[in-house]
Amino acid sequence: MRHACTSSIAAVILAFVPIAAAAQADVRRTPDGKPNLQGIWQVLNTAAWDIQDHSARLGVPAGQGVVVGGEIPYQPWALAKKQENFASRLTADPETKGYTPGVPRIMYMPYPFQIFQTPGQLNIAFEYARGIRVIHTDGTPHPRGPLNWWVGDSRGRWDGDTLVVDVVHFTGETWFDRAGNFHSEALHLVERYSLEGPDHLRYQVTIEDPKVFTRPWQMSMLFYRRKEPDVRLLDYEPFLLMKEEQAARERGKTAN
Amino acid sequence: MKTLCGIALIGLAVAAAAAPRVLAQASGAPKTIAGCPAEPLAFHTCALQKAKTFNPPRLPSGRPNLQGFWRGDALTQAFSVEGVASDDPLIKDPIMPWEAAPPEVIDPADRKIPYQPWAAALGRRGVNFHKYLDPRTSCSTAGIPRLALQDASQIVQPPTDDYVLWHHDDHHAYRVIAIGDRPPVGAAIKTWHGLSRGRWDGNTLVIDTTNLNGYTWIDDSGNFYTDTAHLVERLTMVDANTIDYEVTFEDPKVYTRPWRVAWVLQRVMEPGFELIEEACVEGERSMEDIRQQGGYLYYFGESWRGR
Repeated sequence: MRHACTSSIAAVILAFVPIAAAAQADVRRTPDGKPNLQGIWQVLNTAAWDIQDHSARLGVPAGQGVVVGGEIPYQPWALAKKQENFASRLTADPETKGYTPGVPRIMYMPYPFQIFQTPGQLNIAFEYARGIRVIHTDGTPHPRGPLNWWVGDSRGRWDGDTLVVDVVHFTGETWFDRAGNFHSEALHLVERYSLEGPDHLRYQVTIEDPKVFTRPWQMSMLFYRRKEPDVRLLDYEPFLLMKEEQAARERGKTAN
Repeated sequence: MKTLCGIALIGLAVAAAAAPRVLAQASGAPKTIAGCPAEPLAFHTCALQKAKTFNPPRLPSGRPNLQGFWRGDALTQAFSVEGVASDDPLIKDPIMPWEAAPPEVIDPADRKIPYQPWAAALGRRGVNFHKYLDPRTSCSTAGIPRLALQDASQIVQPPTDDYVLWHHDDHHAYRVIAIGDRPPVGAAIKTWHGLSRGRWDGNTLVIDTTNLNGYTWIDDSGNFYTDTAHLVERLTMVDANTIDYEVTFEDPKVYTRPWRVAWVLQRVMEPGFELIEEACVEGERSMEDIRQQGGYLYYFGESWRGR
């Protein structure tokens, strides 16, 4: 009777600890006892535009940042590069080429994603750019590098009720947002996924990149469960949508 | 035309590693699979008979466990589901030689797609093949069912039994199959892989797919369906390492009757095998060259649009 037992323990704990921690004890679980992270999730923030605090700009909602402490510890050259990226973002942002946004950026694109969980593996399928991440939780190590993958290589383990994922083997060609925040191929992420109640998934990620930053830094945000009973993952394939527009233009020229 | 996608280096390495396997099987390897003849119709008939007495491995929920890595057999090819004759001129093509292969069409009996006349002129190495860039080459997706012929794939069945994920190596394409009774999605929504609902018919996973955009081809020959297609796939385990894969195509806009293909999926036995990222869009360097040299147009269903 796991459920009844955990509820009563939760009720006792509730009086003494913050609500978020207590809620963790009362989450849905898979048959192997792990928190069940499955479902269709989506952010409700503006990190896709800018991961830091920002005022509204035309076409950009104002937003409170997701960077813990607010500041990104860029090395001096890298801060200059970030500002240059910002100035030329309408053409320099890899998103404008229709590429896979990389990790962690794909996690907070304003599109849904779906988590599939088996004992040895989690898969995250993204509506945006048909991205997919395989997170191995079977104890296997990262393959030996150097490897340059757009979504990196993810190996996870459970730390209590928190899924901790180590991600390496990146390209230096992805950004963090549409505001020019960037990293190199030396990017190393440690992601922590923990349920805060049945419909909220806390996502914390530590970002380390000695080529670009002076120290590791963190982002923290919530994923919200999509609860529409008939919700399905559809597709948004930016590269193909661009090609489809190109094809329509070419047809137009031929017709004239 | 065969696919010429500019893929990441790692993808090329995988292709190179896979090549000896194909060659070994082509040069006189046994022509039986799971005790059945390898020719697709003969295999299908024999495999479904065998499956009647096979008790598949099961998940704790009791459902058949189809999980693992799978790939099509080397005998089945994606050149044409209607088969490639041994005297086909394309077999001697200096750039992209095809290989002789039996038809994967198992129904109707003549092993040909029952096209309406206008559609036969587009598919079957017709207008599509000569005028348009193979959509798979343009980093879209091989589509259903061609994905299941092309490279390895992984079937993932979470123990909650509510979804099946079918993840393909080819351009990191994935399909989400919602298990059980679910309301259909509005017909105006069209997607590359359609929207799939799954159910269990005994030990067979049956996948029903609609909401397709019709932008993909069935094979290299430009055989096709449109955005009114309805596909039904059946995956049946024949033994622990073999799946019989059958697809029924219905599209009243294109065909005179429903028709079927079938082929085998075999378990990938390499220890430690994992799917590896294939960054087609991001590594793409040659698409415009191919288009210009061949004078090809983008497809996006242009040949059948307005029908």
